[in-house]
Amino acid sequence: MRTISRRDFLRLGAASTAVLAVESQFRPLARAAELLEGGRSVNRTSGLPRSFLPSTCTQCPAGCGIIGYVEESRLVKIGGNTKHISNAGTLCARGQAGINALYDPDRLLKPLKRTGARGQDSWVEIEWEEALAEVAQRMAAARSNPQSLLFLTEDVERDPLGRRFTHAYGSPNAIGSAGIHDANKKVATSLTWGAAGDIPDVARCKYVLVFGANPLENNPNFVGMARRFVDGIQQNQSKVVVFDVRLSHTTTFSHELHYVAPGKMALVALAMANVIMQDGLYDRDFIERWTNVSPEQLAQHLAQYSPERAEAEAGVSALDIRRLAAEFASTKPATTITDSVLSGFSNGVQNERAVMLLSIITGNIDNRGGLCMPRQYGLDEPAPAPPQPGVSVFTNPENVAFPSQQAVAQVLRQAKDRQAEVRVLMTHSVNPLYSSPDEGLNEDVLRDENVIPFHVAITPYLNETAAFADIIMPETTYMEDWEIEVRPSLEQVPFVALRQPVVPPLESARSFFEIARDLASRIGGGMEQFFAFNSVSDYLKARISSVGGLANAGGLDYLKQHGIWFDPKSRPNYGSYEAGGFSTPSGRIEVFSPRLAERGFAPLPSYETVQAFRELGERELVLTIYETALHTDGKTGNCMWLNEIQHDNPALINPETAARLGIEDGDKIKLIRSSKSGEAKERSIETEAFLTEGVHPDVIAMANGVGHTGFGRIAQGEKFKKDEVRHRELRDANFQLVWWGDHGGTGVNAKRIVPIEMDPIGGGQAWGDMVVSVAKD
Amino acid sequence: MTFSGAASNSRIELARAAQGIYSLLARIFGSLPTVRLVRSMREEQMLDSLAALGISFEADFLSVDEERLARELSREYTRLFTGPGTHIAAYESVYVRGEGETSPRLWGQATGEVAEFYRELGLEVPEGKTPDHLGLELEAMAVMTQAQADRLAAGDDAGAGRLAAMQERFCREHLLRWIPAVCRDVEQESDSSFYRSMASLAAGFVEMSCTGVISGNLPEEVA
Repeated sequence: MRTISRRDFLRLGAASTAVLAVESQFRPLARAAELLEGGRSVNRTSGLPRSFLPSTCTQCPAGCGIIGYVEESRLVKIGGNTKHISNAGTLCARGQAGINALYDPDRLLKPLKRTGARGQDSWVEIEWEEALAEVAQRMAAARSNPQSLLFLTEDVERDPLGRRFTHAYGSPNAIGSAGIHDANKKVATSLTWGAAGDIPDVARCKYVLVFGANPLENNPNFVGMARRFVDGIQQNQSKVVVFDVRLSHTTTFSHELHYVAPGKMALVALAMANVIMQDGLYDRDFIERWTNVSPEQLAQHLAQYSPERAEAEAGVSALDIRRLAAEFASTKPATTITDSVLSGFSNGVQNERAVMLLSIITGNIDNRGGLCMPRQYGLDEPAPAPPQPGVSVFTNPENVAFPSQQAVAQVLRQAKDRQAEVRVLMTHSVNPLYSSPDEGLNEDVLRDENVIPFHVAITPYLNETAAFADIIMPETTYMEDWEIEVRPSLEQVPFVALRQPVVPPLESARSFFEIARDLASRIGGGMEQFFAFNSVSDYLKARISSVGGLANAGGLDYLKQHGIWFDPKSRPNYGSYEAGGFSTPSGRIEVFSPRLAERGFAPLPSYETVQAFRELGERELVLTIYETALHTDGKTGNCMWLNEIQHDNPALINPETAARLGIEDGDKIKLIRSSKSGEAKERSIETEAFLTEGVHPDVIAMANGVGHTGFGRIAQGEKFKKDEVRHRELRDANFQLVWWGDHGGTGVNAKRIVPIEMDPIGGGQAWGDMVVSVAKD
Repeated sequence: MTFSGAASNSRIELARAAQGIYSLLARIFGSLPTVRLVRSMREEQMLDSLAALGISFEADFLSVDEERLARELSREYTRLFTGPGTHIAAYESVYVRGEGETSPRLWGQATGEVAEFYRELGLEVPEGKTPDHLGLELEAMAVMTQAQADRLAAGDDAGAGRLAAMQERFCREHLLRWIPAVCRDVEQESDSSFYRSMASLAAGFVEMSCTGVISGNLPEEVA
């Protein structure tokens, strides 16, 4: 630009003023700057004033209490909230890396509309007004068949607004993806003692049997459970015995580790139960008073499960089984911890019931230090509550006897098979194209506009699933959003916690509350009445209105200040069943399940062989996909700090097995799905071998959480060049540390070759039924 | 902008002109283009006054149907400033490292400082906006020049002087530290002559207005 003259300047000024009467976006300050609440604190190095606010973490399902530390409206640190009953001040790596999730350089901050074919990654920014108007128009038009709305979310129970929105629209199809991991356990516990899930009271027990669980790395109640587990060992001298297919972090804190052949843990548990019954070590009073079987009936049933049989089939010595059975039954209180390496099979519900039987026959049920029932406040649906829209093939598929969290793994396949019409697919912060089995099939479904005519993704990130959306609405992260959070209490005292914004929303990201309310009012047709809240506070207050005692303590204001509330006078009410029995049809623990009998399944806890494992071929191994402490399935993929620690997942193979297969450490290998394990679009994956004694000889193990094909540049290990103009937004020193793309890569998502197969009782994904043959590449 | 030495009337005129240009630039870099914007940018008066400064557009801007052009420019704006993926993050804190910071970062120290500056001015950060975004900082200058013109018109020379001092501070502490760099990035990266030319205008105009070149002593004509 050349030097400007006065005349030119005035002329351009006049022309500019003529362009648009631009109305300034600035408004005078209505009030003094609203400072975030909290105490006083300063940064020790910069001296900047620091404020802090309590909230709730949602990086994983545990829901720990957190404190967000804010300087000049930037979140600088996330720590644990010491007042929170579960995590009591501790916080895991994922929780601390929430800062990465908030300031993710690949975060979406403007609504986007696709301009090319689905999945072609070609977008144009649009205004919120246009995005809302178009989505509302499509949804209003589709509402002549309200069941044609398919709403996918992470966990329906933790997305009350999503469920309300779906029901208000008239569709029952609010489907959570969490069920692919925990459905079998929830169904097994519901059928047995009338409550979904369990809380092992590990801090107060003297003896713990761990079946396929890994509380020190991954657990639905992660750090809260981990610290209690360690407390139990250190303060209570509890003995820990682990059954697993892999040397997990938990085993490093255990007294004994027993490798069990994959899918056969129930044989070991049933053999132990058999020993306890035969040797008279059981709690006769408890069995007779609180279960629906007699000790004699049970002993007779268990006789088929001898320790010798377990030794022959599952590989745990009969001597050890007898010894451990006697130890477990004679040490009180004792408990068990179970997780997906037990229940993630096509026989998962039965496996869970087999292990639960150990606590039942020894009377370690809902007692101090035993296996406790989950205690959690049931919150009200704010009035007016949308009517229940019934059921559909998505919520109650024919191939699952007791759908609880629903069978999300197969909903997209059901849509493809035209089991029901889908006119609008709404995905809310969920990533099935990474976290579900058979990614290839799911991708085909989302690409096909005949099957899914319209897909709106509400998410802060362009993850693998949002990449196949027609419109993306940039949602706030959990650090910028409100919700009431409840979880089962690890102290048997129920609590209510709050998620609140620790910083204002970045750019034009909007909370799901605002999006749902705005869409409901535009779609209209009666839907708007269910979102007629004046403010988010009104919604939150309505949610907690039935929690006795909280109102007196200060209600929502109390939660804003402390992050959590529980009745201070309340003490753990162990033995809660003694007052009114169990919430089963018989009021007792249904060791014999009439409901299972009715549907043609074994009514007593039993072992059923996984068909695929009947005969393993010479080069065949069982693939185990394990969870680590560093990633939450499909969710934390682009968090810098987490990827820095875990970005790769070589396949763990036992050296003996490797020698047999002629594989050496570091070899490129190929895992090819055996025809025994069903069909998925992709048949094989390539990875590297990592030889370790820390894995069962019949198993090949790979970590979950890495191997993203989308989600962002950190997830995919793209190296950022410091001075490259287009990478300026990544000049943050953190992002220049992405070095692993060139050093071993970013891993492989092993779930791609897993077929969609479920336990026919509980509908949980049978992740473990996976036989692969291993070839050198 | 001090406009020293100029007569009162002409100082008002200059302040209003500066306000117009800052508003225009704020509109262009702060939000998506529309058909209306494209249309007015192609008006003769605008093209002529830009040409006088040596700023011109190429055929990709001048000879495309306006509806199509608005669509194309929206895609280009998205690619340049929004993403997904690599884009120019037009925030001061991404370009300027704060004293306590090891490296520049989104929503960094500068963001807080700019927000504080707006508070001092008595302005609230608009909802859904980041304080140190290119568009918003340019708009803040528009607000200040507008207020300055209003004070001058009301004969409040002291008030106008305070606003001039605020502008001077905002220029020194913020605009001059990064606007030239971000404009250079846009000039290098954009496939569209519209955004390249507007980045060149923004860089030149900010430098000129901030370094006091527009001091009322502008030559009537440039040879």
